[in-house]
Amino acid sequence: MPSAEILASGVFWSVATIAAYLAARTLYRRLPRWWLSPLLVAPALLLAAALATRVGYESYIRGTHWLMLALGPATVAFALPIYEYRAAIRRYWPVLLIGVVVGSSLAIGSAWGLASLFGLSDALRLSLLPRSMSMPFALIVSGGIGGVPDLTAVFVVATAVIGVAVGEVLLRWLPLRSTVARGSLFGMGAHGAGVAKATEIGGEEGSIAGLVMILSGVANVLAAPLVVLLLG
Amino acid sequence: MLRLRPVRVLHAQMQRSRAAQVAALAAVWLAGNQATRLLGLPFPGAIVGLGLMLLLLSTGWVSPVSVRRGARFLIGEMLLFFVPAVLAVMNHAEWLSLTGLKLFGAVLLGTLAVMLGTALAVDLSYRWWVRHAVR
Repeated sequence: MPSAEILASGVFWSVATIAAYLAARTLYRRLPRWWLSPLLVAPALLLAAALATRVGYESYIRGTHWLMLALGPATVAFALPIYEYRAAIRRYWPVLLIGVVVGSSLAIGSAWGLASLFGLSDALRLSLLPRSMSMPFALIVSGGIGGVPDLTAVFVVATAVIGVAVGEVLLRWLPLRSTVARGSLFGMGAHGAGVAKATEIGGEEGSIAGLVMILSGVANVLAAPLVVLLLG
Repeated sequence: MLRLRPVRVLHAQMQRSRAAQVAALAAVWLAGNQATRLLGLPFPGAIVGLGLMLLLLSTGWVSPVSVRRGARFLIGEMLLFFVPAVLAVMNHAEWLSLTGLKLFGAVLLGTLAVMLGTALAVDLSYRWWVRHAVR
């Protein structure tokens, strides 16, 4: 393809991505149903557009990967909730630590075990491992352990959508008396979407969910090189 | 007092402008990347940047108001920044088969285990901790 055409295609798909995102967000604000989550609708709109115009993933991502650069500053932005909720960290730190360690071990262990049980390929198994982390952390870990970050992105989104539904069911019959347990359930199990759900339940649940999501993400990114070193 | 005015004007401007705050957070991210490269750290620049930002906030060098709007924007609209990667799904038509069902099962059962285990571990340890901390 001549470079002018590449540029035009990049501009077109960037605008289409932003438009699909805004449309999905507006739709969800009007009709907040779990199956209308922007996590599903925005990719679905773009998928339909790409299939209709017969554009492959390689040319789509070439024009739009610049949007993903913002995940770096977004990771830095996670410092603000940590700072703002420092009182909750000081108050609950032993419990949060247990939640992060137990949750991360279960996330990685269950992904490994289930992928092996179902006979999934090595690439799929490694890409599944970081699926419970918030997206920027999951993409970093996936690349670091030899997974395919693009596949991990799909699994992270699936985890968010499924996690919100599973979490609502669990909350109905689990005898969880503490806000810290309800918050940890959503923050560990369904990352960003879980934090949004926890915030609907209560302000403290929301801040605990956010903390658990961020702290477990940071802990996993820091631990990943050590794990690779130990296994390799 | 007079000497502090330019700083104060800059401060007031930072509290208003979301774009300036996003740019400031991006600058911290770039600084983190440089630190990783120059010092040969085993962690990605974004994580070093997060640590650096936390340091700036806790030492009081940067007030939370000066980055709050930018940070909320970057975190709140994160889906826009990662949606391109999700389109990778179009390279995997083979997931419309047993493999897709297995992947769905792995995510569903795994999430069930994570949520159940985390919530119970946290609830039990919290109750234990409350009982023993009070007395």
